[in-house]
Amino acid sequence: MPIHEKSLIRPENLIEHEKLVIDGIDVSGHWSTFIESRALTDYNENLQDEIEALGGGENISRCWQCGSCTNACTVNAINPDFNPRYWIYLIRLGMESELVRDKDIIWQCVSCNKCTYACPRDVNPEGVMKATAHWLELKGHTEKKPSMVFDEAFSHQVFETGKIEEGLVLRQFLARTGQPLAQPWIVALIAGLLRRFPVFYLIRLGLAAIFRPRTRSWGKARTAINEYVAEREAANRRALRLDARGADR
Amino acid sequence: MTRPVLIVGGGPAGLSAAHALASAGRRVTLVEKVDRLGGAPILSGYAKLVPSHEWARDAIGGMVQRVVDNPLIDVRLGTSIDAFAGEPGRFSARLKSGETIEAGAAILATGFTHFDSVNKPEWGFGTYPDVVTTVQVEQMLSSGAGVRCPSDGRAPDRVAILLCVGSRDRQIGREWCSKICCTVSANIAMEIREALPKCNVYIYYMDIRTFGLYEGAYYWESQETHKVKYVKARIAEVTSDGKRLLVKGEDTLVKRPISIPFDMVVHAIGMDPNVDNMTISAIFDVRLNKYGYLDKGSAYSSLGHTSRPGVFVAGAATGPETIDDSIAQGQAAAIAALNLVNGAVREAAE
Repeated sequence: MPIHEKSLIRPENLIEHEKLVIDGIDVSGHWSTFIESRALTDYNENLQDEIEALGGGENISRCWQCGSCTNACTVNAINPDFNPRYWIYLIRLGMESELVRDKDIIWQCVSCNKCTYACPRDVNPEGVMKATAHWLELKGHTEKKPSMVFDEAFSHQVFETGKIEEGLVLRQFLARTGQPLAQPWIVALIAGLLRRFPVFYLIRLGLAAIFRPRTRSWGKARTAINEYVAEREAANRRALRLDARGADR
Repeated sequence: MTRPVLIVGGGPAGLSAAHALASAGRRVTLVEKVDRLGGAPILSGYAKLVPSHEWARDAIGGMVQRVVDNPLIDVRLGTSIDAFAGEPGRFSARLKSGETIEAGAAILATGFTHFDSVNKPEWGFGTYPDVVTTVQVEQMLSSGAGVRCPSDGRAPDRVAILLCVGSRDRQIGREWCSKICCTVSANIAMEIREALPKCNVYIYYMDIRTFGLYEGAYYWESQETHKVKYVKARIAEVTSDGKRLLVKGEDTLVKRPISIPFDMVVHAIGMDPNVDNMTISAIFDVRLNKYGYLDKGSAYSSLGHTSRPGVFVAGAATGPETIDDSIAQGQAAAIAALNLVNGAVREAAE
């Protein structure tokens, strides 16, 4: 029997056999269409604890599903599928497969924090979005986003030297995301600088790029920061029951 | 000497009315149909009360003791009133034994009856031993036995509490909200989580009505500290796969049917009108409201008036009521009765 409102059914739940004969009757093609049950059959009881353990997700168990976050959301105004209220509910009850379905939308949060101000229960939905995106990544559901690669190059340098040399951040970012260094906009930027920048500053820029100055007596701070970061990452992996592994860089 | 005040029912409302009248120097006759004072909290074996977290046997037990010890209160256990006649200030009541007692006024503190879950067969009570009521869980807690599956005595790993069982259900003629089950369920859920940290508790709700200050101490506390999970779904049926219970319904927030296994299902049962209300209504000639509770006069002009002058009402006899409010209403009815019998004294003196 053909199904008229197929659009209402998730494509993966529609099963059709190109060739099928039952009791001598040919039911090939749409005559053999079946709809798989969409009933939820269990909860993953660890999911809430896992998100709660990641930075930003601490207050998720406060949510009472009023929807203020979704109503206030900048991204939701553009993409109605972006629904923090819904994801918080899925996480709290442990509907993991439902959550993973939206893995390519969740990271789109722009961190405007309108939800944070609208939330009557101080759930910090923006933090939950961050924690959820982090969770998806740690669990291997999503790949590392370019913004994360950039953040890593940036923070690695800060941790190491206590300073930022933008040229290096940029070079590392482009190299790690497999992009050529000779981007037209970089060429234009450098050409402009060479033409208009005072010579004194150009020399300083050049020296900084070569010698990469460090903050004085940075060693202790570096050790402490790296220890803390490693500790947090290990704690996150433990909370998610992933095998212990060092930092990804 | 003026006639004593007759109080019918020895639960929180009746006990508080008796104590209030005796404190004002009035004699009281307290008639209780079973052979024990305390009402539902004692007779049904409640555990820790909302909102005090005191054990029922301590809190209500204390109220019982001060009534029993008071020489102005004549307690008649295991009997009930057969006939009631007269007018305000001069009533006479006949006990089951045939004895007639005099009364200046009467207070009906006859309470409620717990909803019998057998009337919702689709939710499995009476079919599966591991489907129980909140009253049974209270008893498991108050007896010290702990929350265990009745079928084989195992500690449950996952418990579902279904709200509004016998409340807000036109299908079975119960249109009222029983007011306290949300809070009691949150309280029970926290007790279970504390006693069995590995056991997850899910509360299936339509709305949560943890009114007033219960919001913070029960609804919020149960989620924030005890991680009790609230699912917006009214359950369609409870079945079994042979090993565990299957709870079926629709999770309305994700618009998906659910069919989830549980070790134990708890019905948060509501408060029915007392099964004896028809008899009480006939004997005392007081009107019932359309739901079957004792009809109460307007709160603005009177304290606990029924449709018959001189007969007052307090507590869950008038509709679903909390223990604290029943106690307050008992005192209000006591003041109303006191006012009436004092008026009779003044008249006689003139």
